[in-house]
Amino acid sequence: MINCEFDRRRFLQWTGASVFAALSTQMSLETLASAASSSPLPLATPILVLVTLYGGNDGLNTVVPFTDPTYQSVRSNIALSSSQVLPISDALAFNSSMPAIKALYTQNKVAIVQGVSYPNPSLSHFSSMAIWQSGSLADTVTSGWIGRWLDLQPHNPFNAIGIGSTLPPLLVGQKTVASMVGPSGIQLPWGPVASLLPRLGRSSSSDIPLEAAAASSITDLFSTARILGPLVTKSPTGSFLGQQLSLVSTLINANVPTRVWEVNLSSFDTHTGEQADQNALLSEVDAAIGTFMTSISAGARSNDVTVMIYSEFGRRVMSNASLGTDHGTSAPVILIGNTVKGGLYGEQPPLNALDVNGNLKVTTDFRDVYGGLLHDVLNIPVSDVIPSWKTALSVH
Amino acid sequence: MYAQRLATARLLHRFNFGPTPGQYAELLQRGIGSAQTTVLDRGLVDPALDSVVAPVLADLGPYPAPNTPAATAFWSAIYRGNSELVTWWLDRMVVSNHPLAERMTWFWHGHFATSISGIEYPLPMQKQNNTLRKYALANFKDMARAMAVDGALNIWLNNNDNYIQSPNENLAREFMELFTLGVNKFTQHDVTAAARALTGYSTAPSNGTVTFNPKQHYAESLSVLGRKSKLNAASLASLIVSKEENRKFITDRVWFRFVSSSTTPPTTLARSFAGRDISSLVSTLVHSTAWSNPANSLVKSPVEWFVGACRALKVRPSTLSSGDLQWELSQMGQLPFNPPNVGGWPYGQAWLSGVAFQYRFELAQSVVAKGDLAPLAVPKSKMVQACADWLGVAEWSRRTASTLAAATGTPAEMAVAALLSPEYVVSA
Repeated sequence: MINCEFDRRRFLQWTGASVFAALSTQMSLETLASAASSSPLPLATPILVLVTLYGGNDGLNTVVPFTDPTYQSVRSNIALSSSQVLPISDALAFNSSMPAIKALYTQNKVAIVQGVSYPNPSLSHFSSMAIWQSGSLADTVTSGWIGRWLDLQPHNPFNAIGIGSTLPPLLVGQKTVASMVGPSGIQLPWGPVASLLPRLGRSSSSDIPLEAAAASSITDLFSTARILGPLVTKSPTGSFLGQQLSLVSTLINANVPTRVWEVNLSSFDTHTGEQADQNALLSEVDAAIGTFMTSISAGARSNDVTVMIYSEFGRRVMSNASLGTDHGTSAPVILIGNTVKGGLYGEQPPLNALDVNGNLKVTTDFRDVYGGLLHDVLNIPVSDVIPSWKTALSVH
Repeated sequence: MYAQRLATARLLHRFNFGPTPGQYAELLQRGIGSAQTTVLDRGLVDPALDSVVAPVLADLGPYPAPNTPAATAFWSAIYRGNSELVTWWLDRMVVSNHPLAERMTWFWHGHFATSISGIEYPLPMQKQNNTLRKYALANFKDMARAMAVDGALNIWLNNNDNYIQSPNENLAREFMELFTLGVNKFTQHDVTAAARALTGYSTAPSNGTVTFNPKQHYAESLSVLGRKSKLNAASLASLIVSKEENRKFITDRVWFRFVSSSTTPPTTLARSFAGRDISSLVSTLVHSTAWSNPANSLVKSPVEWFVGACRALKVRPSTLSSGDLQWELSQMGQLPFNPPNVGGWPYGQAWLSGVAFQYRFELAQSVVAKGDLAPLAVPKSKMVQACADWLGVAEWSRRTASTLAAATGTPAEMAVAALLSPEYVVSA
């Protein structure tokens, strides 16, 4: 049976899609897009690639405390045996579905930040993903953390790009939003009416914010298509995530002036039949990341790219009777890049000291991980994006 | 004048999937009270709706062995059934003369969001759809009791794997968080206890029939939401719905989808839901002052946009290429019976990507190509305004008016551009 799917179009209570007044002032997007093509992203500019795993990936069966007797006993029906893991220390191992990431780890290109979540973790998919994507524990914050970074940049539809059709909240700022590109590229309108349609993207003084956003999306489509269209004409191949990351590596190597990319994969909500489902999903992640890193490493931006893989929560330590796990708390965040200082960061939460719900304790705050990326990759202080947050965990 | 145009357009687009040709102009003449009555009118008869034949879906039984002739026939029956369900429902939305019931069924589908991707078989989805329609404007307590034992929902949220010794919490948690109370209105203890109340129900995946087996049901007293009692699925639903939080939660959800995702309802609105009567809530909302507040704008979801276009152009979705239609809707992120997750559909800005525009264009082209453009058969100088009156747009911006004015020689192009305009994609 297929588990219920959770993907990034998942926000019931929250997106950042409320304030767009500034969009109506952006009359010169086409000029900016042309400038972007004539002034490609300078080499050695750091780039961030976010990989969102929706549904709550089971951290304990991803980076596995395989020698801990408690691990084997409390989830005996789904625990991975020593033949199903790829050890990286006496205590920890990757799920054996992750050979490419394990190989990168061996080359010191993978940082595993352990026990990541936030105080009093929510067991709700929606609340927790809203916290991760907003970078804030307050449900009044309606912008995404990358969106707030975007707000600080001179507007350019290339600054941040998500792959897909619906905007994830993390890419929505208070003044501006990221662009989206479909995994199969861009197909502009055709036929006699096509020449009329770009006019619908102009701003109008009578526009309410949502109308301004609708108009802006039309202009951004035509602008980005002119630059990106020729680059993404080939039909995508590979898995769902593989197609997305393949497009991203193509565009990065083509010097598209984009600092942040977002891709995602769903269905990590493994309440039942976890081993088979999660192994298949991790295998998809692993193959896509492996291919992506090979492509990046062969290009001129080998040292520019950092990948972060995260999910809204990990899962319950004790498994259930349906060979799955219910919602949990902290889990590892995985950071990958040729300039990442590989290894283990933070503390592995102990399996014998759980919270009242039988979940892992939190040893690293996710905002510290964001802080490191904001400082090292996007080159701004964390507090510019996460107000009053001062600390950062650097893996560079 | 503008205020009346805005309020009338909002009522028609949000509660009736948009006006039929001529309807907007007629209601503008008759006044806002008439518009309120019209969108709430459920009609005694609806011959057009009755003309849409529901697919007859067989119980396809267990999965056949792979790579056999039986498997080929089985999977093509699954695919055909799924596809028929989608066009059947879209046709109902488009042809109904009293679309409120379909509109509310659509709302509840997004509320109790169940995806066929987790069910495979179309029959349980059709049964769920009929249940949602049956209670769409009835009492929410009855609806919640029915949905707690709905086959498709039980499969979707793993209740077949919920055992006394080791509860699977998925259905219990989402039932409280997403369907009835809202987040943070219950504890982890309540989730575990509610999961126990939901043990003993087993659903046949191929037909969605739910069987209760008392031996596998947790028969002891359970403490849920501060009350200790013996509970089964229906009495659990009744207990939860009786909580005060349910009144506010459902009122908020209706407001969120019909009025605005950025404003909140007046406290008086929830009073109309005190008895959990959905029609009372909807009627109070339609008669409220919400429609004159400029802040209460919404983005039409892809299905709402598409159905509105089909109603205006008198095109039955089943006459379009069903493969193209389903591809385009799924690429826009909204294929009926396929919500992305149990939280339901996205909303607002999320629908406004450039990628969505590409597929909206393809759909607009195919609807206009089959459509009745008679409403634009007026002198060229009146076409742009006629187009607004036809589609139920309160007012074109100067941008859109000048764009449409460039297409007075080609009504089909004008229609495509109008359907893609910010003023039509957004319900201002």
